[in-house]
Amino acid sequence: MTVDNLINWFPFGTEWPVLTFVTAVIICALPVFLFIAVYALVAIYAELKISSFMQDKVGPMGQGVGLHAWKFGILQPVADALKLILKEDIIPDLADKKLFVMAPFIVFVGAFISFAALPFGQNIIIADMNIGIFYILAVGSLSVIGIILAGWSSNNKWSLYGGMRSAAQIISYEIPAGLSIISIVMLTGTLSMQGIIEFQSGTIWGVLPNWIIFNNPFSFIAFFIFFISGVAECNRTPFDIPEAESELVAGAFTEYSGMRYAFFFLSEYAEMFVISAIAVTAFLGGWNSPISGFMNSSGWGVFWFMLKSLSLIFLMIWFRWTLPRLRVDQLMSICWKVFLPFSLVNIFGVGIWSLLVG
Amino acid sequence: MYKYFNNIFVAISSILKGMSITWRHMINIRKGNVTLQYPEERWPRPERDIGFDLDSYNVIRSRLHVDIDDCIGCLKCERVCPVQCIKIVTTKAETKGEDLPDIGHTGITSNGTKKALIVSRFDIDMSECCYCNLCVYPCPEECIYMTGGPNSHKHPIDYEFSQYDRNDLIYKFAKDVDDEKISKYVSKKIK
Repeated sequence: MTVDNLINWFPFGTEWPVLTFVTAVIICALPVFLFIAVYALVAIYAELKISSFMQDKVGPMGQGVGLHAWKFGILQPVADALKLILKEDIIPDLADKKLFVMAPFIVFVGAFISFAALPFGQNIIIADMNIGIFYILAVGSLSVIGIILAGWSSNNKWSLYGGMRSAAQIISYEIPAGLSIISIVMLTGTLSMQGIIEFQSGTIWGVLPNWIIFNNPFSFIAFFIFFISGVAECNRTPFDIPEAESELVAGAFTEYSGMRYAFFFLSEYAEMFVISAIAVTAFLGGWNSPISGFMNSSGWGVFWFMLKSLSLIFLMIWFRWTLPRLRVDQLMSICWKVFLPFSLVNIFGVGIWSLLVG
Repeated sequence: MYKYFNNIFVAISSILKGMSITWRHMINIRKGNVTLQYPEERWPRPERDIGFDLDSYNVIRSRLHVDIDDCIGCLKCERVCPVQCIKIVTTKAETKGEDLPDIGHTGITSNGTKKALIVSRFDIDMSECCYCNLCVYPCPEECIYMTGGPNSHKHPIDYEFSQYDRNDLIYKFAKDVDDEKISKYVSKKIK
């Protein structure tokens, strides 16, 4: 793992163990944080523009005084971020202050530490654990705790409703997502992220890339079950009943402002990336090139990985600006009555398939 | 069982249909654009036909405008203003009815009146104006009026004059000349 390698590589590792450890961790964590920040700015801009285009508007075009949003409003997300940083940080009088302060960081940490096991390229991965995908699914659930804490500690009926709804939704949708991943693990025989990707190199009959989504009909369905459950876990429209502006103001985030709200926002976009990255890794061949042997060196791996992830994020944005919000009972019935039986059948089908074909 | 699978099929097909609609709108952005970049682009003003001529209005409530060359500095509009949003400063000129080109002073108004006063300040604070039109009636030279409407031949209508700074709503109509230049022409009797 990268941190261990860095610790061994430092010349003063044995004399200053704590200092070495902290330095190595920061060297690994800082680029990830910068990446999330830059990616979030890009994603927010894309969301603003794409949503406007889909609604026959033009989106941010750089009107206004002070900090002009430049051409085509490119600096609009920067201005938004600056506004959120400069805003007063309000903590309600009747809120449970310790939990209120802690909640955004727990949510952000849940999204942030998932990046440790994301394979950006052949060699670019912070920790290639042998339980990689299990680790990501496990720490991804951490954000539920943060959202419940935020809803509870705000001492506000909307926040509490939002927090409870969010918890019910995320926990429910983790089951079909996890079951779809189990069917992938059955095929590949490994939990390591790099191992899953290496399984997908090559082609099927020399035409299709040997991605798991094309491997058999069951994994094709599993991809959609996983991806839609992932969208639901991100609390994005059409599954945004925890935030539901028209019913719950902003759900669990109602009482938050300034930096703390920005952290929720950032972690939402980070989670979107994590879900897309898992879907790319598990189903779409990760850093493998779609055409076998074409631009398949280790440098291009990052390009293919980012391209695939960002297309899936575009798909999420597309979902958001097309589909209306589901009702709570509809949301639950999709999860329990459709996704769960289908993913169970998938596991069975993949088992039979790998027994007969594989 | 049929209902269950039919339901799933309807859901998937309607989602695909909806997404194809949004995709088409996203691609055709510049063609079917419904919004305007307001200060740069504006909707064309529709032709008005309300049964009588534009000149038949006697009142329009838009922005106050002053033809400063016609103003004789009688202060009637300042006195009548119910909210005191007009401020006028005048000084007595040395000679009556003569043009003073270097301070932009014209001696005779368009009605033929000889001007005895130099108007060195004529400010209207449009943020305080209550659009009562009372200042328009007493003006002997008809030089203060609301833009547009019956006055549209004098000044085109202006109803979009919002500003970023409140001070920019104070309209200064007097010629921008420093006091030293004006003081040359001030009557010596007053000095």
